[in-house]
Amino acid sequence: MAAAEKEIVYGRIPVPTWRWLGVNEVRVPEKVLREPPAARLVTIPAGETREFTVVTRGEAVSELHVEIGAGAELRLTRARLAPDGTQCADKVKATLSENARFVYTAVNLGGESVADLLDVDLVGDGSSADVAALYFADGRQKIDMNYIARQRGKNTDASLVVQGGLADEAEKIFRGTLDFVRGAVGSVGREREAVTLLSPNVVNRSAPLMLSGEAEVDGRHATSVGKLDEEKLYYLTSRGLSPADAKRLVVLAAAAPVLERVADVTLADEIRTFIERRLSDG
Amino acid sequence: MAKQKTFIEDIERALYDVRGEDRPRYRSESGLTEEIVRDISERKHDPDWMTEMRLKALAVYNEISLPGWGPDLSALDMEKIATYVQPDAQMAGRWEDVPDEIRDTFDRLGIPEAEKESLAGVGAQYDSEVVYHSIQTSLTKQGVVYTDMETALREHEDLVRAHFMKLVPPKDHKFAALHGAVWSGGSFVYVPAGVEVKIPLQSYFRLNAPGAGQFEHTLIIVEKGASLHFIEGCSAPKYNVTNLHAGCVELYVKEGARLRYSTIENWSKNMMNLNTKRALVEKGGLIEWVSGSFGSRVSMLYPTSILSGEGARCEFTGVTFAGRGQHLDTGATVVHAAPRTSSVINTRSISKDGGVAVYRSGVKVTAGAKGAKCAVNCESLMLDDVSRSDTIPVMDVREDDADVGHEAKIGRISDEAIYYLTSRGIKEDEARAMIVRGFVEPIAKALPMEYAVEMNNLIDLELEGTRG
Repeated sequence: MAAAEKEIVYGRIPVPTWRWLGVNEVRVPEKVLREPPAARLVTIPAGETREFTVVTRGEAVSELHVEIGAGAELRLTRARLAPDGTQCADKVKATLSENARFVYTAVNLGGESVADLLDVDLVGDGSSADVAALYFADGRQKIDMNYIARQRGKNTDASLVVQGGLADEAEKIFRGTLDFVRGAVGSVGREREAVTLLSPNVVNRSAPLMLSGEAEVDGRHATSVGKLDEEKLYYLTSRGLSPADAKRLVVLAAAAPVLERVADVTLADEIRTFIERRLSDG
Repeated sequence: MAKQKTFIEDIERALYDVRGEDRPRYRSESGLTEEIVRDISERKHDPDWMTEMRLKALAVYNEISLPGWGPDLSALDMEKIATYVQPDAQMAGRWEDVPDEIRDTFDRLGIPEAEKESLAGVGAQYDSEVVYHSIQTSLTKQGVVYTDMETALREHEDLVRAHFMKLVPPKDHKFAALHGAVWSGGSFVYVPAGVEVKIPLQSYFRLNAPGAGQFEHTLIIVEKGASLHFIEGCSAPKYNVTNLHAGCVELYVKEGARLRYSTIENWSKNMMNLNTKRALVEKGGLIEWVSGSFGSRVSMLYPTSILSGEGARCEFTGVTFAGRGQHLDTGATVVHAAPRTSSVINTRSISKDGGVAVYRSGVKVTAGAKGAKCAVNCESLMLDDVSRSDTIPVMDVREDDADVGHEAKIGRISDEAIYYLTSRGIKEDEARAMIVRGFVEPIAKALPMEYAVEMNNLIDLELEGTRG
């Protein structure tokens, strides 16, 4: 029997829970992180607006720190379109000053194992984070996500929306934490995750945490995990679509709110085509 | 204008804090050694297999470390806990035969009165031993057994041996192992196939001795097509030393059977409540948990339902109220291990005065549990900015033909709701009271009437205009 691959802890859930659930740590094969690159720092000056799109198509490890100045806005789209068999690990850390805004869109497609970490620190009063993520995993792919929005300033606003589909023997963990730190008076946090299960052998784990040391906040989260909506499929097939086309349409419709955030039309088309192809292969 | 807040009084504890004189017939030395475990086993006249099980559990206890998650347990020093305290009383079938002081304690708690009015059987444990047990003759005639665990071990040894610590094995966690080593007291219920026990049975556990532990074991078997409502109450007076409760509840719900298990836990605030409850539900069976957690310094309590048969169901309804100095880490776990199983988890928590209320859950849908459905709803209300409220749910779904949903809310009393009610002519204080009562109402509705009244008494609402 081959020796188990050595792993190291790449990230942790903010508050641990039962070990048998297997969500306390994000583990990455040691070889992936053998020579981690230095973290890149991006600073958005006060009052300015920037928009970046980062597309990764190969095996990669990256760490990006962004500091968004007072009243500044950063719109960051990160798309990973990884070839089969690649191993990837990404960390994004964002620190928001007063009235800063961070609009983050993440897309995870392909790869053998993907670790995707996001840590947003809403330090400044009135700062906001609007986060949306999309993934589709098939084959024996593993996606491990750990997203944290730490709301420290007064009247902060955080939204985490995660949409995904799992097929074949794919596995995915999504940990999403809204953390209202004492003093975050008037803050609002929303988290929503929807997972579509497309085959009987997938494994989905969801851990939507909400932590609060402040009473004057409004936090909500909702998670739904299940198969494709049969009523929608029935409706579409009764209108003449083949079952495969109906399935493709329903999955892409679910992905649309995240895809619409991808400003680069060519990239959005590429993502759409990637998902369509994977669904056809299935 | 200063923002108005609702002020909710601390739980009224005077009734529970009356101490009985600490005059046990026997008290084991503090600490946990093989000699102590053997001594307990000998005093209880255990059969050999039970002694062996205790010693194996002790070995497991010594091997397992404390959980790496959850509340701080550093205040618990087993070297300072007496694991067995035998009260100066024999088990009686009539309250008149229970020693005055112990009977007075249960009188104050309203147990004999409740027995007359609304219960089909009662068990009362004082420290480590059951001192009173009764059951209506009509039930014994139908084959229902309700007795203390020690009697069950003597009179129904095969049944006990087949089920005891099979659902919660000692290796499950450190405090399950501790329980296995030093368990004493508790209740045994057997409901034969097809028998409906229409009036509830109730066991009440009172820990009077300071610096002691209570480790009662409750084992309930509800056979095919039978039904039962079992109520568990527990309390203790407050001391300046740490007390420990590490009970264990094992529930077997057979095909088509129904079991409602209601608990109002009101331990004193020097108590570490590290309790384990688990139910195995067979085809078409139903387990209903109703759980109120009000007392304890620290609680770790997550009743588990294993839905092992097709169409088995679980309904969990819980309320947790964490006040000053309390860290109550509560919730539920459900394993959907068969097709068309379903579960509903519905919880409310309130934290105030620096209290920490944590909702923790684990829902697992195993491969092959086709058509499984689970709906979780948890809401937390924080009444000040020195308290905490955390929600830590995890769902693990390994079957595509499943429908799992989770919703959670955290926050304070909504200004919009107050505005709406006051615009309808309701005074603001009353509007706030209505909202808090409404918040816990889904739980209150699930409680037996006398317990709903007790809960309302516990959460004594006192409203004032500008406090906070």
